[in-house]
Amino acid sequence: MTSEEITLFRKQLGGELRKLFARKRTYIGFGAFLALEVVVLFLLRLPKAKAAIRHLIDGAGYDPGDYFSGLTLGLMIMSWTVFLLGALYLALVGGDVVSKEVEDGTMRMMLCRPISRGRILLLKAVACAVYSVALTFFITVTALLAGFLYGGFGGLFAFYPAEHVFALYDFWPGLWRYLLAIPLLGLSLFTVSCIAFLFSCMKMKPAAATIITLSVLFLDSVVRNIPFFTSYQGWFFTARMATWIHVFDYAIPWGKMVEDYVLLGAMNITLLVIGWMIFEQRDFKS
Amino acid sequence: MSDLIRLESLSKSFRGRPAVTDLSLTIPKGEIFGLLGHNGAGKSTTFGMMLGHVRPDAGEAFICGHSVQKDRAGALRRVGAIFETPSFYDYLSGWQNLRFFVSLSGDVSDARFREVVELVGLTERIHDPVTHYSHGMRQRLALAQALLPDPEFILLDEPTEGLDPAGIHEMRAMIRKLRDEHGLTVMLSSHLLSEVEQLCDRVAILDGGRLVFSGAWRSGPPRWKLSLDDQAAAGDVLDRYIAECDGDVVILREGIDIADLVSDLVHAGVRVKGVELLRATLEDFYLGRTRP
Repeated sequence: MTSEEITLFRKQLGGELRKLFARKRTYIGFGAFLALEVVVLFLLRLPKAKAAIRHLIDGAGYDPGDYFSGLTLGLMIMSWTVFLLGALYLALVGGDVVSKEVEDGTMRMMLCRPISRGRILLLKAVACAVYSVALTFFITVTALLAGFLYGGFGGLFAFYPAEHVFALYDFWPGLWRYLLAIPLLGLSLFTVSCIAFLFSCMKMKPAAATIITLSVLFLDSVVRNIPFFTSYQGWFFTARMATWIHVFDYAIPWGKMVEDYVLLGAMNITLLVIGWMIFEQRDFKS
Repeated sequence: MSDLIRLESLSKSFRGRPAVTDLSLTIPKGEIFGLLGHNGAGKSTTFGMMLGHVRPDAGEAFICGHSVQKDRAGALRRVGAIFETPSFYDYLSGWQNLRFFVSLSGDVSDARFREVVELVGLTERIHDPVTHYSHGMRQRLALAQALLPDPEFILLDEPTEGLDPAGIHEMRAMIRKLRDEHGLTVMLSSHLLSEVEQLCDRVAILDGGRLVFSGAWRSGPPRWKLSLDDQAAAGDVLDRYIAECDGDVVILREGIDIADLVSDLVHAGVRVKGVELLRATLEDFYLGRTRP
């Protein structure tokens, strides 16, 4: 690639990102997360919820006063909001990214230009990745700030029974683990964007692409939690996506996490390539 | 003139239904060429195949010598296109829309941006969000995005669709200007045959996906309507001058001037009450070739 080509690619990507971030709809996700974080924070402040968390910490032989802190609340807010809304908003944006342009007719305008379909999709895939990172960063940072505002500074208590995570850390090691979780969570969430992207490349309405993506996620998640399939966890991509939480294990299982992310990466690349192949074969008519 | 556009045996079916069948035509450089046909005749499919939006089942389209199917980027480098309902990102300004679309073609200087925006008359409103644009303004913005990469050829699919009479007049003047002053080759489709008639000397007519005519629609000798008081007395004179006669409508033999015929009729004692040149309309021409 020559320097002119790189400059042109940057310009094209800048245009793609401007389109994405100039749209009000893009920010609905950010706004919804902020609102949900406030709701979760409110719920965690309820006396009985607070008492339950303090009881858990106390039961582990630690002082709840040290560990019922901003970090603990931040992690709870972050993981709950991601669980409740993360997939929805990434599926919404990923599902829109190609099919909305086809529906609106702007894709035909783009395809009048001497640019390959593959390059158009590459720009859109990168824009989706940037959005996934931006949304993850926003959720995690605002959750942490909300936690600090209410809980102040203190140790981190991480408790995720489904993933067998139960750990307590002092402030700095806890903060380090929290910060390490951000890019890993971003990588996991990018899978949602890739699934939505694939459906968006097909001949369907944007809403259909979003709904099908959510259905796939829901199905995978429900089936993997059926007790009969416990020994087949590795077959479910949502199980691989949940690997980021193991960053809070006392001994981080790097081997397993690398394996999970390599598999997710391979799955994402496969989804993008299939989406590209479908898009290449399509006819675009008014 | 060399051919800028060459379509070679293009065919396309959708779910087994032929949309275009074995379409071949050429458009010379510097021409305004009309593509006509009823709804579903295959015009949009033809445009789609010329722009690489639709993959033909057979055949190939060439623009400036490059095959659209084999070298799409090369073929579309000097091409601009407008569709019947121009689509833009409504939440972006006209300027931002132009910037985005043009970035897909390569680099264009700010001076060129300003020149084109001025040419289409959008200077005052170019920084407004497109959502506040009227249909006419959107058409002008579409024209600007088509012209920005300095095309040799522009493809206009129903460019006057939805425009008011003033807008139609403006668009027509603009198309002429692009050909006359900028040397562009234009291919357009429109249901407004009177518009095509005013702009195009050559047209192609599609019917059911097949090409039923391609060429100069005005070709052929002029037809005259003669009003004579004594048709029988005029017989000998008319026999000498006319090639075809259909009632009172005649076609003169080659090289004959209508004034000579009128003069001889008067000398023969026939009173000539009226002579009218019948102008061919594109509508008659079109309907004559597409009616079942």
